[in-house]
Amino acid sequence: MTNPQDPATPASDRAVLALEPGDLSGHTIDELSDYLDAGRLPANPSIDQSASCQLALDALARLREVARTLLDVDVRNAPAADDNWVHRILDNIGLEARAGRDIPLRHPAPSAELVLTEGAVRGIIRTAGDSIDGILIGRCRFSGDVSVPGEPISVSVEASAVWGKPIMAAADRVRQAIHRELQTHTELNVTDIDVTVHDIHMADDAEADDQAGVR
Amino acid sequence: MTTAAPVRPLENAHDRTLAGRAADGDVRAFEVLVRRYGPLMRAYAVRILQSNDESDDVLQESFIVAWRQLPDLDDGGVVKSWLMRIVSRKCLDRIRARREHVDIDDVQPAAPASQSPPRLAEVHSTYDALGVALRTLPENQRECWVLREIAEYSYEDIGEAIGVPASTVRGLLARARKNLIHQMEVWR
Repeated sequence: MTNPQDPATPASDRAVLALEPGDLSGHTIDELSDYLDAGRLPANPSIDQSASCQLALDALARLREVARTLLDVDVRNAPAADDNWVHRILDNIGLEARAGRDIPLRHPAPSAELVLTEGAVRGIIRTAGDSIDGILIGRCRFSGDVSVPGEPISVSVEASAVWGKPIMAAADRVRQAIHRELQTHTELNVTDIDVTVHDIHMADDAEADDQAGVR
Repeated sequence: MTTAAPVRPLENAHDRTLAGRAADGDVRAFEVLVRRYGPLMRAYAVRILQSNDESDDVLQESFIVAWRQLPDLDDGGVVKSWLMRIVSRKCLDRIRARREHVDIDDVQPAAPASQSPPRLAEVHSTYDALGVALRTLPENQRECWVLREIAEYSYEDIGEAIGVPASTVRGLLARARKNLIHQMEVWR
C-alpha cells in the first residue's frame, strides 16, 4: 500500500482498489453491499471465487466496521456533558409538573375543597420507598379511580434493589413505608401495594458507606 | 413528609428506574437520562445533519418530546433506543425541511472527491480518515450514506426523506461507498 504520511502524492495517483463492474467480474458495488448485508448468503460462487470481489467485500466490511464505531468515538472525543450543557437543555424544556388527576381530601369546612395531585402522591410514594435502605423506586401506577373518595385503589410500584441485600425483606419494608405515608398524607382507600423488584443495582458510594456503617 | 428521607443518588440507577421516575414527574431522574444519553444523541445528530447549530436544536426538541411522551413508554428498559428513535425522526424532519426550503440546484454542490484530496498528513486514525473522507463527499452521497450506515434507514425511507426514488438512493450509496473506500484504502 502507499505511504499515508506522504501528502505530496495526490490521491488519484495512488494504487486504489478497482471497484467498477469491469474490475469485479461483472458485479457491482451495490450487489456486493447487498451480499455483505445478507451475510454472504446464499453463497454466490461467482462472487466467492473472484479475487477482486473478495478484496472489494473486505473493503466494504472494513468501512462498515469503522462506521459502526463512529458515534462511539465521536462521543469519546466530544466534551463531557457538563452541568451548563445539561441545565441549558432542562431550562428550555420547562419541565411542567406532571400533576395528573386531583385526589380529593376532606376538609372540616364543607364549602372548602382540598385536593392533592396524583403527581404529589407519586412523589410521596417515591420518597417513602427510597427511604428503605438499598431501594430505588421506579414507575408507580394506580389502579382504581383516585379522584373518587373511598374508591378501592391498588398501588403498584417498580423498584430496583441494591446487590447483596435480601430482596423480600426490603420489598416488605417498602410496602409498609408506602402504606404508612399514604395513611398519613392521603385519604386513599388503599387495598393493595404491589412491589416488583425488576433490577438489582450496584451500591453507589453513599449506599456503600451506609453498608459499611460509615457516617 | 414526617422524616427527612435521604435523597438517593440516581447516577447509577438502571434506565428502567430512571425512565419510570421521569415518567412520574421526577425531574432529577430525567436529568440523569439527559446526562447519560444526550452526548450520544448529539453525536448522532451532528453526523446526520453535519451542523452543530441544527444538532443543538434537534437535541433540545428531542428532549422536549421525550419529557412529554415518557409517560406513554411502557418499558423504561428500552429508553435508550426510544430516545435514539426520537432524535432520528427529528433529524429526518430537518432533512425534509431542507429540501423544501432550498432550491434543488443548490443541493448538489461538491466537486468529485478526487478533486479535493483529504489532507492525509493530518489524519491520525481510521476514524479520522473516515471523517475526512465524508467531508469530501458530495452532499447527497454523504446524506445517503449516513442515513443508511449510521441511522440504518431503509432505501425507501431515505428516498422519501430526500425526495428521490429508492433506486436513486441505491446509486448514490454505491458511489458514496466507492468514494469512501478509495479514500480509506489510500490511507491504509
